[in-house]
Parts: sequence; structure tokens; C-alpha cells
Amino acid sequence: MDTLLTAEIAANSPRYRRRSSTFIDGVHDVQDDQAPVLAPAQLYSTMSGRLFHSGRIAIVLVGLPARGKTHISVSLSRYLQWLGVKTRVFHLGDYRRATMGSENDVPEDYFFINASAKSVLLRQKILKKCRDDIYDWLNHENGQVAIYDAVNPLAAGRESLAKEFLKHDVQTLFLESWVDDQSILEENARSVKISSPDFKGMNPDDAAKLYLKRIDMKIPHFETMSEKKLNWIRMINAGAMLEYNNVNFGYLSHRIVFYLMNLHIKSRRTFFARAGTSEKTDYYQADASLGEEGNAYAQKMADTLIEHRQAERAALIASGGSEAPLKPLAVWTSTRKRTVQTADAFLERGYTVRQRSQMSQLHPGVCEKLSENAIRRIYPEEVVKHQQDPYHHRYPRAESYHDLAVRLEPIILELEREQNDLLIIAHESVLRVLYGYLMACNAMSIPTLKFPRNQIIEIIPASYQNEAKLIEIRDLDPAMIPGSPEDIRLPVAPPSGMVSPMSGIGTPAMGLSTPSEPADLPARAKPTIVVKEEHPLSKD
Amino acid sequence: MELARPSKKTNGVGVQVGDTMICVVMVGLPARGKSLIAQKAQRYLKWLSIDAKVFNVGNYRRKGAAQPTADFFDVNNSEGERMRRAAAEAAVDDMMKWFKEGGGIIAILDATNSTKSRRRWIKERCDKENIETLFVESKCDDEDLIMSNILEVKTTSPDYVGQDPEAAAQDFRNRIRNYEKVYETIDEEEKNLTYLKIMDVGSRVIINQIQDYLQSRVVYYLMNLHIKRRSIWLSRHGESMYNVTGQIGGDAELSPRGEQYARKLPELVRESFEGQEHPLTVWTSTLKRTIATARHLPQEWNQLQWKALDELDSGVCDNMTYAEIKTEYPDDFKARDDDKYNYRYRGGESYRDVVIRLEPIIMELERSENILIVTHQAILRCIYAYFMKEDQERSPWLNVPLHCLIKLTPRAYGTEKVVYKANIDAVSTWRGKGSTAKHEDPTDETASLAKLGDGHVEFDAPAVSSDEDASAFSTTPSLDDIKVEVTSEFHRFPAHYLGEGRHRLPRKWLQPEK
Repeated sequence: MDTLLTAEIAANSPRYRRRSSTFIDGVHDVQDDQAPVLAPAQLYSTMSGRLFHSGRIAIVLVGLPARGKTHISVSLSRYLQWLGVKTRVFHLGDYRRATMGSENDVPEDYFFINASAKSVLLRQKILKKCRDDIYDWLNHENGQVAIYDAVNPLAAGRESLAKEFLKHDVQTLFLESWVDDQSILEENARSVKISSPDFKGMNPDDAAKLYLKRIDMKIPHFETMSEKKLNWIRMINAGAMLEYNNVNFGYLSHRIVFYLMNLHIKSRRTFFARAGTSEKTDYYQADASLGEEGNAYAQKMADTLIEHRQAERAALIASGGSEAPLKPLAVWTSTRKRTVQTADAFLERGYTVRQRSQMSQLHPGVCEKLSENAIRRIYPEEVVKHQQDPYHHRYPRAESYHDLAVRLEPIILELEREQNDLLIIAHESVLRVLYGYLMACNAMSIPTLKFPRNQIIEIIPASYQNEAKLIEIRDLDPAMIPGSPEDIRLPVAPPSGMVSPMSGIGTPAMGLSTPSEPADLPARAKPTIVVKEEHPLSKD
Repeated sequence: MELARPSKKTNGVGVQVGDTMICVVMVGLPARGKSLIAQKAQRYLKWLSIDAKVFNVGNYRRKGAAQPTADFFDVNNSEGERMRRAAAEAAVDDMMKWFKEGGGIIAILDATNSTKSRRRWIKERCDKENIETLFVESKCDDEDLIMSNILEVKTTSPDYVGQDPEAAAQDFRNRIRNYEKVYETIDEEEKNLTYLKIMDVGSRVIINQIQDYLQSRVVYYLMNLHIKRRSIWLSRHGESMYNVTGQIGGDAELSPRGEQYARKLPELVRESFEGQEHPLTVWTSTLKRTIATARHLPQEWNQLQWKALDELDSGVCDNMTYAEIKTEYPDDFKARDDDKYNYRYRGGESYRDVVIRLEPIIMELERSENILIVTHQAILRCIYAYFMKEDQERSPWLNVPLHCLIKLTPRAYGTEKVVYKANIDAVSTWRGKGSTAKHEDPTDETASLAKLGDGHVEFDAPAVSSDEDASAFSTTPSLDDIKVEVTSEFHRFPAHYLGEGRHRLPRKWLQPEK
């Protein structure tokens, strides 16, 4: 039954897949119910799979195109899944493309109130498919939050939608993105929409304006939310202001508002880099300074990143893109010396650096000064437990990755609210968790992510999903690239039977992909984050 | 180009999160529940180990004018105006001092702050010291709610001690009218302020220009609050077989005496209604002993089982007695006594961990009205600490006797507590520092959730009188006694603390949730 339903979803919405690799944003992964795994920041689990006694909720997006609805849907889904709330986004656009074929445009009168009978029928057919999938998922797959990503422009339509959901015992929460700030609109239109061939060769600003004008013509009737009897949240101008109408908000609705307070809809990039190495072996408590090589690394890393950003801008301009200046780059480090000193290379070049105490690395506990062999000898039973669950297991006095994920909550929300491009220089354990959040990794795969020193990871938000890219730092001493002395050498092999993220099973269905989904990503990213196939203890 | 500076509001520059200082500025007419909100926010933040303090302008004003009549608040009364302005300045001065010297994180300025010019003045003062401002306006035009608030709280204010309540209520209504004349709600013109505007008792809310995570966290809490009067009932499960044998944790059945308590509980709850019958929502943990304890309560009452209300996970020590723990894990036993709040059982939890997992419970409690919670000793200690402002040193050592029902009623200036005893014998599960006794009697000094006899009323703190517009209970000490609470025992931030614990495998927790 479930398989059939999933097949239906997969057929209709190419975003969803059984299991993706860790190199691809997992926000659209279909979780395998047979092997329930706690989400990275989940505090407890329940038999039904639903949390907080919040019942089942349909979050219905409201807003014209280019208002960041898809981005909001996907980001919210990412956050709720991180907390362990079973969430899935249903993009109506996917269903439209699946029904009509990606080549065909919607009929001109598709969104009109007085649309032709043919358009109305088409509209209803698409809507029905999407809603059936929503109900199936909520009823048969223990889903808790269904995010329905569509325009929903009319008050009457919204009211009947809420009624329909209520009939299925599903609460409705409308979420409108309202933008009247022209500069935000144009930026959105420029960054996501004008890759279409219609705008080829046009000046990006003109293309953006034309695109927005077309929206107004295509969807001439739009009523902003003012319904007193419905639950709704309105995000105004990319989150500058939030407004909500609370008829019967539950815990989750308030939690969603909390998240939205930190979300914006502007597009920006996140970079991850390791700190340089210290001269002598660094212990957690010693908090050593950078060595000579570490300093050299810091300089090279800074040069590489700055060059990369400038090259990207040049390439964009060359391909007819915007000539807007680069977004400012902010740098965050932990309060540990090596991260702070690595960032000095940016400080010297005039960038702003901010230290954040919550970003200190996974506490190694008793493992701090022990070799792996010693850990095996002294704590054999802990090693076994760790292998069973490397994400939740704590060595004596140490933190688990789960502890770290819960502790990083303020950072994750600050990460969402940051509007500048952002470089995070931190310990590998922190990078793993933050990458795990942004790319919606399965909890079990987080401890195995690798961030070699010769690579800067760049995460680019596309509207459907985040994309990871890597930037190579050339001419580094090979000795400093892999695990550094300060790493906790804990055995982190995935438990047997787990699908390796390397296998590439279930990568997105190609046939229906849209332009925003680079098909070559897995191949490109493969060398980036290499999962240790051999037992790490074997190469002490 | 590349060197363009990130703007301040996006967190790109400036202070670290640990150094963030926020002044929460209450805005609203009298009798809108501002003081209640301010007190709750302070309590919540402290519970999360974030140092917070309320600065109440009314307290400063009363030093100069103890029992002013409504005329004092007339905009045309220049003497009154001057004194109120002086009180505001004194409060803000003290607040600045507290930020600077006391290492404060979040100050709550509790006053009407009803004009744009007053708000601008506060913002300028805070901007100068690099303190963020978050304005919180509670706007309510429900006349019934205002009048009930006046009658319940305001007429017992120190401003009206010894006066006829009817006359006091009338005077207070007049005082509000004086404020209404000059009251300016936060509007479009102030769109550059960071603010939370709560309208119609939380049904309409506007959140503007949130600057950072900590502000969003405060707003998140505030929007869950309501100011309607309600009570929370707390009870442990009836005596369990493990209680009898002195074992901790586990999922034991009730003892015969525990069963007796379960049967008596409905009667005890009815007694606590004091004539006013109304249904309660019952929350239990997912463990047998709490579910069994709640099972004789009226069928029509809604019952929810929360995983988050399960007892503190004692990890490897689950099912052991304290004597066994001391023998098997002597270091752990000592470490726990040294810092019980932060000690994490090997493979289990600390009190600090429990506080994190209780977050949804606290938010849900704040949103709900009358709730009866049947849960466990450690969980009750944490919930009780939240309502009664017990600090982290004390809360893990509180005596929570079996077989009694505690009714807490949050009021504007404190939480009212009434204890109802079932008079059914039970073992004591309290344990003093260092002790391994199976059943130990608490000493006279032991802080207890249920020290008072039946029907006695106690408040969590000396009821400190409050703001310009507000008041306190009749039990308020005389005006000279107004104390400013200083809190230094709290960490600046939830410390990233590592207990003595070893590991914690995710338990396959099962919660039959609907």
C-alpha cells in the first residue's frame, strides 16, 4: 500500500526519492518507515510518529510567484524534519508539470476567476491529484505536517480548502508571503526566475520587471489574508514583519512562528572551512594556537575563497547576469583559538569576523588524550555501543552528536537569519552538524561526513533544495589535509546494513527534473565528503 | 566591493551572542496584564539560566507618592508628570547599572510607556549603551477582561491599601482614563522599532524587525502566554512498588497504598475546586504508575500522555537503590551530590537535560488553561521550579511528598500555592545529600512542595508591588520593604555543561499519541 502511494508521489512529484546520498539535500527524501531513525535534533519519539500532541496540520502557502513560497516551504520542512516532525512539501507546480509535461505552459486563463471550462477542468485534475497525495500521506504514512505549496490567491478558495481539510481531521495554517518592497521582488525574480529561455539576451533588470508584470497579468486577482476565522501567518517583505491571526494555534504553530522570525527569503551562500593546524598536538583543553603551517593554510584558504567569489561574479556578468556587487561576506568562528586565528586572514583583509561560543567542538570527554587503541582497551563496551549508534552515543564525559545538534539550535536559527554570505570556520564535528542541517542529512550519516582541509564547501540555496559545491584549495601540504591531531579519533563506521551515502541509490529521477536541479551534482560532489569505507580504527 | 560591511541588523557585526543585552520594554494601558507578562518572562528566562530582571517604574514612583489619586496621573498635572518622569529615569538608571555591573542579559522595563516620545527616549538611552530594545505592547479593549483584572488585582494594590474596594476600582478606572488620553499605540510611524504587538488577547499578533535569535526566543515565549486566570494541579503518581523497595526509575506498578491514592485523587481534586466545578485536562507521563494514578478521574476529562513527562532517565542506575549506586558507582554518587542539577547519569539525563525536554510542556502549559499533571518527582521539581522561581541549587533537592495534590495559581506578582493532602501513608522518597537511606524523612529545613497544611496559601516570592499602573496582593509588605531582587547565582548563558554521564542510547520511546 505504502509503496504504491509512494510510487504515485514519485510519479507526480519528481522531487521525492527513496533515499538520496548525503551530497544532495535530503529535504525531499521519502523516509523509510521500516527503519525509523530519530531526526538529528529530535528529543523523543512516539509510537504514532507524531509529536507535541499537535495533531495533523496542513500548512497552506499563499502568495504570488516570486514571493519565495517554495523557499519558505522547503526551509520550514527542513527545520521541522530536523526536530523530528514528519513533514513533507507538496509542490503543486510539480503536479502541474507532471500532468502537463514540463514543456507546456499553463493556459493563459489558468489562474483567472472566469477561466474557460477546459482550464478549470485541468486545474481541478491537478489539484485533486495533489490533495489525494496529501491525504494519503497524512492518513497512511503517519505524516504530521503537509506543506502545500501553491498560490491560493482567493479568500473563497482558502475557506473551502480549510473546510475540506477539517473534514479529514486536519488543521489548516495558512502562510502568506507578502512583498511590496520592489527591490526584494526584483531580486527574487532575477535570482530564480529569469533562467527561462523567454528572457534570453535581455538585461536582467528588464527581464525581472517583465517577469513580474507577466505574473500580474496571469494572476490578476489576489487577495491578501484577512480572514478572521482562519489561522494564518503573514510574512511581510521577507520577514521584516510577521503578523498572525490565531484562532486555535497549537504548539507547532507557535514553534513555526518562532522559526519564521528567523527566516528571510533572500538568497545567500554559506561556506564551510576547517581551522588551520597547530604546531604541537592540540588537546581540547589546551586550546592551542595556530602553527606556521596553520597560518599558511589560513592565508591560502582566504585567498581561494575571495578569488572564487570574484570569479563567480565575473562568470555571472559574462553570461549576461547581474552586475550587482557581491553580497558582503561575514565570517563566524567558534571561540577556540585556532578558528579565531584562522579567521584573522579575513580580518586583515577587512572582513567582519564574529566569534560564537556555541560553536565549540564536540566535547571529547575521556577520549581527549586517548589513542583509539587505548579507547578500545579501556572502554570496549562503549566502542560497541558507539558503533551501533555513532550519532547518539556518548563516550564517558563526552558529548554525542545529538547533544551537539541540540546545543547548536541558536546557531542554526542565526544561520537562517543571516542575510550576508557567510563563512563558517569551525571544528569538523560542528561542520558536520551544520552541514547535516542545511543538507537535511539522515542523523546516522552525520558523524561520517568528511571535511578535508583542502576543500571549502559552498552551499547554494536553490529554490527547491540546497546544493553543495566544493572549492579546492590548491598547493596545501598533503599532511594537513586529512584528520588533524585535534580530531577525536572515535570509531564512526556506519553500522552494517546501512546504505552507504556513496552508493548513489535513489538519486533524483532524471526524466522530470527542472532546470534548478543540476544533474551532475552527485558526481561533482563525490570526492568532497568521502565516507570512510574501511574501519577507521584500522588506520590509527 | 568585496569589502562592503554587513549591516548591523543582520548580525554580521557587533557583539557576540553571549554579550547581547536586551531591554524588553512593556507598553500598554494599565490593567492589561503587563506585570504578569513581565514576571513570567523573567521567571522563564531564569529557568533557562539566562539572567533577567524586572525594573518596575511604579516602585520608583511610589517612593515619592505612595497613594496618589487619579488626579496624579492627569496629563495636566505637571507635578505628577514630573514625578513620573523622574521615576522612569531612576528605573532606567538602575537598569543600565545592572547591565554594566551586574552582567545582566535581559531587563524588563515594566511601565505603561504609553507615548511615542517616552519610547523614543528609552530607545535612545539603550542605543547609546549598545543595548537592544524590544517593545512589547499588550493591547486589549475587552472591557470585561479589564474590569475583572482591576477588581482582582488592582484594588489590592499598595496604592489602595486600606481603601474601600469599590472606590478604589472607580479611582483606578479614572486613572486608566487619564492614560487613555495620551496613549499612543505602536503604529506605522514606529516601524523601525523592534516590537511585538499582541492584540485581542493574543488572537492578532504583529512581530516587527526581530534582530537576533535571543529576541526571537523571548517573543516566542511571550506569544504563548495568556493572562486569563487559571490553575495548574500537580501530583506525583501514587506510591509505586519501586518506591517501597527504594529503587529508582523503572516502570513499576502502584503499591496497594498507591492504588488507594489513585482512588482518592478524584475526591481530592474536587475538594481543590472549592465549590467551583469545572473540567480539567489531565496530563500524565507514558509510564504505568502515572497512568494508573489518573485512571479514576472523570472519564469525560481529556487525558494526554506525554513522553516528555517521563521520569528523569537514570541510565545505568535505572532500577537500582541509592545504596547500590553508591557501591557500584561511588564517583558518580558523589558527583551527583556535588552538583545535582548538572550531573548526568551514565547513559541517562541530568536535571538540565530534563529542562530542555520540558520546553514543549512549558509552552503548552502557558497556552492552556486548567491542567492537572500527574508525573514524577524530578519532573515535578523542574515544573515547580519554573512556577515558583526555585533556583538550580535548590530545585533538585526539593521534597515532593507522595500522596498530595498541589494547586498553583499564577498571579500578577507571584504564584499562589495550595496543598491538599490525601492522608494516605506513603514512604518518603526524599534523599538528603550523601544519604543512601531507603526512606529518609526530610529535615525541618528541607524545602518542600507541600510543607503547608491543607488550604494554606503561600506565594513563591515576597509579593513585590509593581508598576505605575499596577499593584499586588494584600499580603504586600509595606512600601519601605520593597526589595529589588538581585540574582547572581545564574549563569550568563545555558552553560555547555558536561555531566558525569557516559553515553545515552536513544531509547525506543513509545508514546501512544493520537
